Amino acid sequence: MKHLLLTIALLTSLFSFAQNTGSISGKVLDKEYNDEPLPQCNIIVKGTTKGTTTDFDGLYSLSDLEPGNYTIEFSFIGYEIQNIPVDVLAGESKEINVSLAASAAALDEVIVKTSVKRESETALLLDQKKAVEIKQSIGADELSRKGVSNAAGAVAKISGVSKQEGSSNVYVRGLGDRYLNTTMNGLALPSNDVNKKNIDLNLFASDVIENVSISKAYSSRFYGDFAAGNVDISSKNYKGNGFFDFTTSTGINSRAAGQNFVRSEGSGYFGYYGRYDHNPFAVIISHGVDPVNVNSPINVGYGASAGKSFDFENDSRLSLFATASFENDYEYRKGQQTDFTSVFKKIFPETEEFEYSTTTTAMLNANYKIDDNNKIQFNSLFINSSSDQVGFYGIGGNGFNRDSQSTVDSEKGFFQKNIQFNQDLIYVNQILGNHKSGDLELDWGMGYNRVNAHEPDRKRFSIENYQLSLDNDPSTNPVFFNNVVFDNQRYFQDIKDEEFTSRINLAYELSKQTKLNLGFNGRSKTREFENIRYGYDIVDNSTTINDVNNLNSIFNVNNLNLNGGGLYDIKVINGIPEFGNTNAPGEPENTYEGKLDVYAGYANAELKFGEKWLIVPGARIESFKQRISYDVINLPANEPGFRQTNNIFLLPSLSIKYALKEDQNLRFSASKTVSNPEFKEMAPFVYEGVTQRIGGNPDLLNNPSFSTIYNVDFKYEWFMSRSEIFSVAAFGKQINDPINLVIANDATGTQRYFRTGDKATILGFEVEIRKALMQNADEDTTLSAGFNATYMHTEQDLKSSTGLYSSTLDRTDELQGASPLIINADLSYTPTFGKNYKPTANLVFSYFSDRISALGSGQLGNIIEKGIPSVDLVFKNKISEKFELNFSAKNLLDPSIERVRENTSFGDVTLSEYKRGIDLSLQLKYKL
Amino acid sequence: MKRNFLLSLATVAMLITGCSTDDTSDVILNVNNGEGSGTGGTTISGTYTSDLTLEAGTEYTLNGSLIMSTGTTLTIPAGTTIKALAQGSDVYIAIAQGATINAMGTSTNPIVLTSNASSPQAGDWGGLIVLGKAPINSVSGSSTSTSEIASLPYGGTNAADDSGSIRYMRIEYSGGSADGQSENNGFSFYGVGNGTLVEYIQAYEGKDDGIEFFGGTVNASYVSVVNSQDDSIDWTEGYTGTITNAYVKHGTDHDKGIEADGYNTDIGNNSNPVFWSKPTVNNLTIVGNGSGTGNEAIRLRAGTQGIFNNVSLQGFAEGFDLDGDQGDSPTGAGVISGDLKVTDIIFTDVTLKVKNDTGSSFAESDFISGDGNGTGTDYSTWGSGWTVQ
Repeated sequence: MKHLLLTIALLTSLFSFAQNTGSISGKVLDKEYNDEPLPQCNIIVKGTTKGTTTDFDGLYSLSDLEPGNYTIEFSFIGYEIQNIPVDVLAGESKEINVSLAASAAALDEVIVKTSVKRESETALLLDQKKAVEIKQSIGADELSRKGVSNAAGAVAKISGVSKQEGSSNVYVRGLGDRYLNTTMNGLALPSNDVNKKNIDLNLFASDVIENVSISKAYSSRFYGDFAAGNVDISSKNYKGNGFFDFTTSTGINSRAAGQNFVRSEGSGYFGYYGRYDHNPFAVIISHGVDPVNVNSPINVGYGASAGKSFDFENDSRLSLFATASFENDYEYRKGQQTDFTSVFKKIFPETEEFEYSTTTTAMLNANYKIDDNNKIQFNSLFINSSSDQVGFYGIGGNGFNRDSQSTVDSEKGFFQKNIQFNQDLIYVNQILGNHKSGDLELDWGMGYNRVNAHEPDRKRFSIENYQLSLDNDPSTNPVFFNNVVFDNQRYFQDIKDEEFTSRINLAYELSKQTKLNLGFNGRSKTREFENIRYGYDIVDNSTTINDVNNLNSIFNVNNLNLNGGGLYDIKVINGIPEFGNTNAPGEPENTYEGKLDVYAGYANAELKFGEKWLIVPGARIESFKQRISYDVINLPANEPGFRQTNNIFLLPSLSIKYALKEDQNLRFSASKTVSNPEFKEMAPFVYEGVTQRIGGNPDLLNNPSFSTIYNVDFKYEWFMSRSEIFSVAAFGKQINDPINLVIANDATGTQRYFRTGDKATILGFEVEIRKALMQNADEDTTLSAGFNATYMHTEQDLKSSTGLYSSTLDRTDELQGASPLIINADLSYTPTFGKNYKPTANLVFSYFSDRISALGSGQLGNIIEKGIPSVDLVFKNKISEKFELNFSAKNLLDPSIERVRENTSFGDVTLSEYKRGIDLSLQLKYKL
Repeated sequence: MKRNFLLSLATVAMLITGCSTDDTSDVILNVNNGEGSGTGGTTISGTYTSDLTLEAGTEYTLNGSLIMSTGTTLTIPAGTTIKALAQGSDVYIAIAQGATINAMGTSTNPIVLTSNASSPQAGDWGGLIVLGKAPINSVSGSSTSTSEIASLPYGGTNAADDSGSIRYMRIEYSGGSADGQSENNGFSFYGVGNGTLVEYIQAYEGKDDGIEFFGGTVNASYVSVVNSQDDSIDWTEGYTGTITNAYVKHGTDHDKGIEADGYNTDIGNNSNPVFWSKPTVNNLTIVGNGSGTGNEAIRLRAGTQGIFNNVSLQGFAEGFDLDGDQGDSPTGAGVISGDLKVTDIIFTDVTLKVKNDTGSSFAESDFISGDGNGTGTDYSTWGSGWTVQ
């Protein structure tokens, strides 16, 4: 109300003095970026106290100027200042439109040397307002302000997006991994995880991101495999004159602190493993199994970034940007785990897991502006991500196994140990170009991606009578649980992904009102998977374990039962024929190869009707080929070992924007898309965790081999000011032949993917508000709040499936992986002290409600992932021009992360439950 | 430090190397081809869509999975020995739904399915899998389930289904791992109907269970399981046949004599109307390693029912361990209703006769009558000649 009164007062004064004074107004454009408006440009009338900044639309006005000669200064943070002389006459309004560009230009133009960064919230809101499609972005400024350290945290701040705590899963409008795509600069990105379609966004540190955007409505330039959204990471695109900064950070996890931390033997502090070149059998023979101790679990991070630009003749400019960083993280999770089907198979009332993870990122970006019309960009990104996990299940001696063979007490004393190291090496290389000539604009990109994901030498042990190791009686000791030879095992897994990806878009601006886009996308991707597992078969099941922390004393080569008398044999499933399957290296246990080829052409038109209407009809025609071939254990003998599909998709889309007012839009979009199964969903290989097993189902490529999706979105958005927005949206989707994760009809309770019904329907409602709550004397926002929420209703009719695997389903249920309610909120406080000291405090809240993690077949209840609230607090603290000292406290509520099996005869059974602890971190940033 | 390990003796040599920059050893394997001695004779494997008749007097090597498709018959004459390649689980014989086996050995000329290794070990190969169309309770109506091994369909509505005849057959050293959780048994009967003849069978030195019934109605007589490393006789998924004259003897490595589930707890009891495993077991002897070594003779769980007549249990810490709950696994309710009971039994060197973990309360006398009257089976008579100890 106060605001409104003030505006009225200003208007009044404007009218009353209009006769005696003059005014200047105009628009500041950004020549670097298609002459889009440049918001937040500072404009000062030199020699007076008058000044303003451009608004969201690049507009400014200076009124109430006494007649006379002035110099107007246009400046933009970090850019060169430019001065324009102007003669102001009484009663006259002058219009000065300024188009700013990055390089020096002709004298008669008003030029500011600038670079464009799509990083500020304002710029991105502008982007969203102008956007032809329904799209939301978050840029480096906001990321930094909210203390977001990576892209995963970034997307979770966008409305309708949630992140699964403690994992890399991102959900858009409640729909998970399989309904999302991730691209970088519009080119497909690989996944780093065999179990995922999308790359772990945690791997993209804020330093390499310019912005992250999520398009929730389909546009014909996206791949046809589109359901909930497309996440696009724009890599940092430096254009400035040069900088160097260095950061170092340290932190601690409240639960990891003080623990005697352990991690696996053979992996290094920096997240590397040196034995990939060796045959796994040689590794087993040569190296022990016990985890090793780690010094105090304190997180550290280092990073450096540098940028430099070089100017050449004819406005050519080469900008280089390089960044490298390393950070590590210790996490300790204490909780419980249970393997439940319709009975308790394993119960671990007390578990503890130690996880040491590292991320190393390096990126090089070269941007060559040949001239105003031609640009070429090269990006090369390398990520090494590692996770070292040691888990102890059944500490305290209270573990239970239904198949216990214990002669001491079959109700307790079951214990498992899992020691595993995962390393993902990701290489992304891209060349991008942009060329303009008259009304034509050509945008293209090519990329080559590679992922090597390793799980070398995972060790898993099963022990009975564990309580006897805790009783301080050296005469009573545990024994191995040796029901099958793989109860005690070492496991090796390798995945190699390779992908070529490309895009071309030719835009032709027929007139101010009409723009045509013609384009092409192609991607060709292969995956090679193989694993091998060796089981320790204990020769005499009564062999006692004198020290459960020293299994090396048992599993060393001296005790190998080569010629009788040893303690154990090493078994492999697929032996090499000459050598047999005992105490000799074997052939891979499971292999599969996936191939995906997509080539598509599209066309769309951006048609403006007057000032208000923007209509974008589009169509895409896509050739889609997918093949999975596999050689995995335990398949029926008549199984052909492959499935493949060839499809041509014709996918129409329509999007309409109607500008209700200058600052309000109505949007509508409708499209037909598809959803294709992923390699991991199709490969019949089963990954065995300690308490759950998940495998694929090649019948997903049988008729129908894809899901058809119909999408409809309505949205109303109101850009209340340059950094404020209010929007509401409603959306509906129908997914035909949807794929769900199901606890199958399987003798071992394996979860597999099935086409579970004819259709699933989704109806949702979304609201977003960003509002400035308090402003200081300079009208800078000091307190602002953001809130967004998505409510969704999903429903599907389930039916039984048969084929290679079967499931029994006959009911109506929610869509697996969909959270009905998602809420994100944040509060940001930026007071100013003195002249330069401007700390920022942010409180960020997020919540998602319970969702189905796997549907229960037949009598089995669903597995539910319980909803989690989370709160992070972040202080950004710039002490001087050169130093920043930042502090964050994350996961302040430290909620229980819980998975539950519903509707059993025991009520709801908790399958896993743990807490991650609060992360405290201190960061020092130095800028040269 | 660099070490070399020399494993075993030589005919084939193989070098695994990684140009060790760390201390991973090179492993030089010298293998004396211990497995290959039996590749002589006729090899058999593959999926048969027409009948396969083996000839008496021929030595057969099973070098992969041998699957008899619907409508085919596998005929094995008396005295035939099939030696399976010691390659674990992928070497097995499966008789699919609608196929039949005609294996008629005699007490003097039994049929032997064994490992071809020179020093055979439990788990060298898969075993025999028979799949039929008799009811199972993991699915309802005419649906089928998929076998743990070989992933073949089984189950149906025909209680009298006929999968052929098996007489005087011994299976040795079977039980190779199929994956981290599943192992082959000696004899696996998946939904096999009571039109099938099964008598005089022995599972010897198996890595997993000796004989397992996954639902079905098949009757089995003169059943011997010796030195099985897991459970000797196992039933689940609503098995309702009759086992007459069964002898179980434990070796050093063993689990239960009988482990019995009312239904497959990984899938649930999806039968409609609901039924549970409820076999009749007549004349049963289980010989353990002495009460001092612990272990249980018979574990009854997951709602199984069953009628035991004339039982002899020797040398166990526990005779019967009944597990269950008041919900999906009402084992105790079966005792109370008289659907799970033992008539005439003798316990010799058994510390605890009955342990009740069912959550239901009942008296021992509700479960057992005629304690001291049991004699077990007369193994020395029917087991002589064709079995091994």
